[in-house]
This record gives sequence, structure tokens and C-alpha cells, in this order.
Amino acid sequence: MAQDQYRAEPASDYILRSLDDVTLVYHRRSGQTHIVVSPVPEILAALTGDISSTAEIVARLSHDYDLGDPHDALAAVQTHLDEMVALGLAHVA
Amino acid sequence: MKHQVMLRIGPASFRVGSAWPQPIVDLARLYAAYPQPEDGIADFTVRLEPTRPWRRFIRPSVFIGGDHMLADAAPMALAHGLLAAEMGMNMQMALGWRRHLLLHASCVEKDGRALVMTGESGSGKSTLAAQLGERGWRLMGDEFALLDPTTGQIFAFPRLVSLKNQAIAVMQGEAPAERFGPLMRDTPKGDIRHLVPNRSAVTRMDEGTIPALLLFPRFGFAPEVREVGQGEAFMRLTQASTNYVTLGERGFTALTRFVTDIPARAIDFSSGDEAIAMIDRLWETLA
Repeated sequence: MAQDQYRAEPASDYILRSLDDVTLVYHRRSGQTHIVVSPVPEILAALTGDISSTAEIVARLSHDYDLGDPHDALAAVQTHLDEMVALGLAHVA
Repeated sequence: MKHQVMLRIGPASFRVGSAWPQPIVDLARLYAAYPQPEDGIADFTVRLEPTRPWRRFIRPSVFIGGDHMLADAAPMALAHGLLAAEMGMNMQMALGWRRHLLLHASCVEKDGRALVMTGESGSGKSTLAAQLGERGWRLMGDEFALLDPTTGQIFAFPRLVSLKNQAIAVMQGEAPAERFGPLMRDTPKGDIRHLVPNRSAVTRMDEGTIPALLLFPRFGFAPEVREVGQGEAFMRLTQASTNYVTLGERGFTALTRFVTDIPARAIDFSSGDEAIAMIDRLWETLA
């Protein structure tokens, strides 16, 4: 069951490095390196502040990107958020 | 151990002990020009021991031991004792070295800049490095390149070049006979013969070098050059490193800097001369 409230891993707990074709995320607490592509870095950047709902994150992303159908965008972002929770890059609030 | 030899290869020093004299006699001859450990204390110990006490004499079988061991390392025939010693030294480096990011790669240097080549076993990286080492480049190593996390420099690990099967004849055409070790037939890796790196490789083994070009060679295919993106280079190098995870953030920082700063290409080739011509062109334009 998908959750609806998320908070980001503190920025000091990971390092982001953009290469020419992918983005690397080094997670300090686990020592794991994740190789991610768009839209994960964008969602990570939009997951700022305290606690955000999926709808709030989608609203922030919509400000900078054309996400198409809002319903589809919400579902897609939700899926990515759940994957990021599994990697330890985001937490269910 | 009854027989032993001490030696230093680049920054790493070894004490190799053996229950039998011959592997140590061979090592002492082939590593005669190499220095001793700086303070007389070796970083690693390698032990060549019989699997059972009586196996020292009856169908001798060598078990490779040392500070760092693989649980399932299979014993080898005594006739392949020199190979066992080399494998033992490699194993200590792969499992125990922490001062550098260790890349499973060959490396040569020219004009103060390094060419790093990595790939699967059989890709030709070792033979290419050995050939270039006889053609005006400095051989820095045929198996490991040591990336310094602090400076970004590559340091050399010029152990004996391990030539396999057809590579033996190729290098017999390039280097004098006195630099070759004994021919070991039918080892677990095929026919093996070691080649002592030339004088310049040994005397300059402590010189670090700025990396300038990363290649992924692949032998046995029609000649082709392909650009390799930073992400692919990063992923393949993490797979080619034995201590990336162990080094943690230092390893991550060193490797991201390496793939960001160094151009990378994959080259397919069907002969050494063809590959060397491709390397010369790439070096001219990219390094």
C-alpha cells in the first residue's frame, strides 16, 4: 500500500554526482552507491522542507517540468517515491 | 616456513614462504632487480604449503595461504608453484589493500601520463600492456592499477607479467629470453609463462602518474572504437575494483573524479599491431 507523506534523507547523508548520462547517489549511512536517472534526482530535489505529500511534490515538479496528465504524474511519482524509500533516500513520514 | 623470499612491488611488500625450494628459487631469480621492503617488514605474507603433511613429498600439492584467503581456493600442482605464489600475492592485494582504489586493469605510462586498460580475462589488456612496455611506454602493471584517492594519481604495481597461451609467443618476439620464467603447461589458466618487466618499469615503480585515457579493449573482434559514457565507465570500474565498497566515500570520490576527468573508449581488435595503431591514434587525439 503506497504511503502519502514523505520526508527526504538529510542532504548531509548522501552525495549527488551528475555524470554525463546518469546521476550517482552515494548513501553515507549504508555505504551504497545508487546509479539513477531522471526523474529520481528531480524528485530528490523537490523533496525539500519538512514533510511533503505526493501531491505537493508533484506540484513542485510541475512548476519546472511538463508532467503531462496530472493523474498519471501522481502515480508515477508515487512509484518512484516508494522505490526511493526502499533505497533509504526518502522516508515515510 | 622453510624457504622464503621478501620483495616489494610498487607500494606493496610481500614475504613469500614455501615448504618447497623451487617456487622460491624461481621467484628470487625473476624478482632479483626488485627492492626489499623498506623497513624489512612485509605488508603481506603468502604461504605455499602442502595440503597434508605427506603431500610435501608424494604428488606434491600446493595450498595457497596467507593473511587474506579465499575459503574455496583449490590446491595446485607443485610444478605450478610459481603461479601459485603469484596468485597468492594477487589475492593479498585484492582482498587486503586499502591505501589505493584497486582497479583490475593494466597500465602503461608515456610523457608523465597513464593509459589504463580494463576488461575481462582474455580481453587482451595484459598482452597489450606488455607489448607497449617494450615499445617506448613504461609498464606500470598488467593486473592492477592503484588509484590514489587523495591525489588522483595512478601508482604502479609492476609484478611479473603473467602471459597466457598465445600471448607467450607474442611476447617472445618482443623481449629477450633471459626475462622469461619457466613455461608452466596445463595450469588451471592454460599455459603460463611469466615475463620480468624491463629495467625502466622496475626502477621507476614508485613514480605516480596522472591518468589520461581509459580503454576497454576486447580481443577477437573486427576493429572498432566506441565512446564510453561516464556512467558506463563508472559502473564497469566498480565491477573491476576489488576494494571499491571497502573504501566507502573515499572510493566513491576517487572513482567519480576519475571517470569525470578521463576520456574513455572501448576498442575491439583482432591483432596486437592493430590495437597499438588504434591506441596511438587515440592517445594523439584524446590524451
